[in-house]
Amino acid sequence: MFRQPRTGTRTLIAAVLTATALTLSACGADADDSGDGSTLRLWHYEGANSAMGIAWAEAIKQFEASHPGVTVVYEEKGFEQIRQNAGMILNSDQGPDILEYNKGNATAGLLSKQGLLTDLSDVVAERGWDEMISPSVATTCRYDANGVMGGDTWYGIPNYGEFVMVYYNKDMFAEYDLSVPTAFAEFEGVLDTFVDNGVTPISVGGAEYPAQQILYELALTQADRSFVDDFQLYANPVDFHGPEFSYAATTFAEWVDKGYIGADSAGIKAEDMGVAFTQGNFPIMISGSWWYGRMSDEITDFEWGTFLFPGSDLHPGSGGNIWVVPSNAKNKDLAYDFIDITMQPDIQNLLGESGGVPLAADPAAITNPKAKELIENFNTLNDSDGLAFYPDWPAPGYYDVLVAGVQQLINGSKSPDEVLDEIAKPYNDNLASIGE
Amino acid sequence: MVAATTARRGRPGRLTASTVLIGLTVLTLLVLAPFLVVALNAVKAPAEYAANGPLSLPGELYLRGIVDFWFRVDFGEKLWNSFLISATVAVGAVVISVLNAYAIGIGRMRGRLAFLMFFLLANLLPQEALVYPLYYLSKQVGLYNSRIAVIIIFTAIQAAFGTYLLSSVFRDFPRQLLEAAAMDGAGKWRVLWKVVVPTSWPTLSVLFTFFFIWTWNEFFLPLIFLISNDKQTVPVALGVLQGDRMMDATTTSASALLGIVPAVLFFLIFQRTLTRGVLAGAVK
Amino acid sequence: MAKPLTRPHPRTRAGASARKADYGYVAFLLPGIVLFLAVIVVPLLMNIGISFTRWSGVGTPEWIGFDNYDRLLHDTNFWISFRNIGFIILAMAVLPTLLGLFLAAVLFDYVAKRIGPRTASVFRSGLYLPQVLPVAVTGIVWGWILHPSYGALNSILDRVGLGALAQNWLGDPAYALLSVMAVMVWFQLGYPVVMFMAGLQRVDPELYEAADLDGAGWFQRFTRIAVHQIRPEIYVVLVTTTIAALKIFGQIFVLTRGGPGNATLVPSYFAYQNFFEKADAGYGSAIATVLTAIIVVLTYLFLRIQTRDERLEGS
Repeated sequence: MFRQPRTGTRTLIAAVLTATALTLSACGADADDSGDGSTLRLWHYEGANSAMGIAWAEAIKQFEASHPGVTVVYEEKGFEQIRQNAGMILNSDQGPDILEYNKGNATAGLLSKQGLLTDLSDVVAERGWDEMISPSVATTCRYDANGVMGGDTWYGIPNYGEFVMVYYNKDMFAEYDLSVPTAFAEFEGVLDTFVDNGVTPISVGGAEYPAQQILYELALTQADRSFVDDFQLYANPVDFHGPEFSYAATTFAEWVDKGYIGADSAGIKAEDMGVAFTQGNFPIMISGSWWYGRMSDEITDFEWGTFLFPGSDLHPGSGGNIWVVPSNAKNKDLAYDFIDITMQPDIQNLLGESGGVPLAADPAAITNPKAKELIENFNTLNDSDGLAFYPDWPAPGYYDVLVAGVQQLINGSKSPDEVLDEIAKPYNDNLASIGE
Repeated sequence: MVAATTARRGRPGRLTASTVLIGLTVLTLLVLAPFLVVALNAVKAPAEYAANGPLSLPGELYLRGIVDFWFRVDFGEKLWNSFLISATVAVGAVVISVLNAYAIGIGRMRGRLAFLMFFLLANLLPQEALVYPLYYLSKQVGLYNSRIAVIIIFTAIQAAFGTYLLSSVFRDFPRQLLEAAAMDGAGKWRVLWKVVVPTSWPTLSVLFTFFFIWTWNEFFLPLIFLISNDKQTVPVALGVLQGDRMMDATTTSASALLGIVPAVLFFLIFQRTLTRGVLAGAVK
Repeated sequence: MAKPLTRPHPRTRAGASARKADYGYVAFLLPGIVLFLAVIVVPLLMNIGISFTRWSGVGTPEWIGFDNYDRLLHDTNFWISFRNIGFIILAMAVLPTLLGLFLAAVLFDYVAKRIGPRTASVFRSGLYLPQVLPVAVTGIVWGWILHPSYGALNSILDRVGLGALAQNWLGDPAYALLSVMAVMVWFQLGYPVVMFMAGLQRVDPELYEAADLDGAGWFQRFTRIAVHQIRPEIYVVLVTTTIAALKIFGQIFVLTRGGPGNATLVPSYFAYQNFFEKADAGYGSAIATVLTAIIVVLTYLFLRIQTRDERLEGS
């Protein structure tokens, strides 16, 4: 005997009605603004509490004040989403008028090569931005027809810079009577002292970018500007078994052997590296200025400071992320006005005060002593053309290659020579494909 | 109950029951441990996390992280988007699955293996393979950056699984019920909605639950197709915190908690309907 | 096929209605067919097309014939990714199905009957919850638990005196894949349990009573009746978990990013790297096409076995 439940039909009707209602709701009018000059669509992915976030929020306010009748439609984006989909987004009509984007061949360079970014050269000359940006920093703003940085066409404008330095725990240094090293041998001496006292000195994030930046720093101690030009700008072929990289790989392996770098750091993420330092588990962390604000906020248990990596005039670093204007942007003039505002002294100084590294701020105007120290270090670097960019820039996907290679150095599963061969191949393959 | 009395014959009794219970509880707690870690860190202040690491107990209940995150990404909007998309997909996919499985499993038409493979194909494709083509197609029809596109895509993908499962289950559908209905003069359409659907309600409920949860947690395709912030779903919003170089652990946990709670709630609610449905719509 | 020689009137009533029945059912398939053509088939064909080109994702693709496939065959990463998948299948399909079968039977047959259906329900929900967790969160949390220094696992090992067993679970190439496998078992276990418990509800209690009267023990009841009756669910679970294992992407992305080295590299992630990090959509499409082809073949074989099995059942 089977019953004929009405519930079946009623449920069905309910389900269909619900689905229709939901679908119609999803179809809802998507108000898309056109290029009528009344809105500026702006995207960036810096947190609201970061130096850039604070400075840019202020810039938005100033923009709206100076442009009555124009609203800034700001969307905070996830970095992963932008990094992954920028090509797709900018190739459609759903993109913004101006966005923050990563500098480098694999990112901005690629987009410029694909014709998705507006050529800013004329605007730059008109508004004098090139005078505010040093040659080192300008390298990452200008790309050539192959999407390689250092070209002659301007595609982006940064507001800030970044560089890699050594963070150190002053209390732990004092405990062992150590002072800030100014030469490489002295630095190794400091590291030895820690190891002798049972402390692993360097907090390392082997699963992500930090470890490869240490490798690069070591290479830079043996390098000069032409090496950087060869490696990053493809000026000449790079010998991965030459003095710079051989030294770097061998020394890195030595540092692992001597115990400066923990043998288990291959699995540590950058976040964990930072947290370990803030918890006082390691006296030293070699990483970038992007940690500075967070260190200032979160370290309350001990005194800390920074110094430039001893033994070199070149350091990983560059101009910061750049403002780019998509080719499909509908309100380009408004975008240019906004960039202009961000380069003005008051915004730049605000950036500095908040713990960022501005390009065009006046150190004298900065009141926060720690921020002042940071900015002065950067200016030293910048003025002496010491920014050597980052090791993963030269080829798309090179980041993963380097992470894998350095992990093998840490784990001791491959010799320095083998690792060098391994990281040479993708670099050379990419070089070959760029020429075409 | 007959089963209980026959079961009592030759069973050790209480001791085995407690052992089984304890074993299951330990297993379940182990399985749930990661959730506890998330909850722990969701209510922990960032300074405490920086000082003591992720596995320490929070000194005090810090709810600012959760509140701040809610407003930062307009979480209410994200919840609505997720709900909208997941519910529509769940309904749509169940309907399509029922239609397909009816033809394949009960209709037993010729070439059903081919049809089954055709539908199952949706589930076999790695999503990366679909991305660029779907992107271009959606741009052509003006559906790029729309929730409708996501709904359509996932209805197809989930319906593939539904078709496969239901057609397998429908193969065993008691023929007498179908024949009885046919003899009462019911056409194929009525047989479907009056006989097949009510009888297989437990399985349909399970399908609906699966589809809802699976769609809720999808992040790869929504990441590609939902660009405007006001259309994004919960998992995409969680991605906002994955910075270039830094990850805000306590806020991520807070956001994770906000992401888990609705899905868990929904699952628990649906659990009850599931059980009730079973008792009410017994095969016999 | 009909034998015209023995059927003098091909258009007998039986013949006509049989053919009509066939077409009648086709109508039910139409919505599905249209949807799938648009969303799946066309993109798949486009994907295959892209695999014969060199393309960065923007602009015009450049035809290069089989170059991408040639490159694939010589790419060690490609082969390693498939080797890794074998292990993932073990962790996501074989183990959860076996364990899930056992747990579902215990929960349904023993706990629900002896202690109460609510209790069984609670356990089931608990076991299923990992599937409800967003993937990003899975990665973070397991990263914390498996952390070499302050991770819970190593801390606990230390606490019980087994500190020597503590490892760098996700960072050591020797252990990374095993750790990922363990996480996948945790993740996947609940799904078979839920599926099998739903299936067990369809089992006719009279079959059990008959078995009891025959003096069958619990294990025999389990294997002879329960497992037999829920064959559809078992097949479905095996097939879907294997497919999910072949396609696995999200968890690898958040746990190890395919590393260290290529210890946990899987085909989907490898394709992703080429699509989105190297802007080499042509190569990525080739990888995805090969992966799809393998999945399709395996699924077809599975389904053939399943339908043949069902036919042999004589149902």
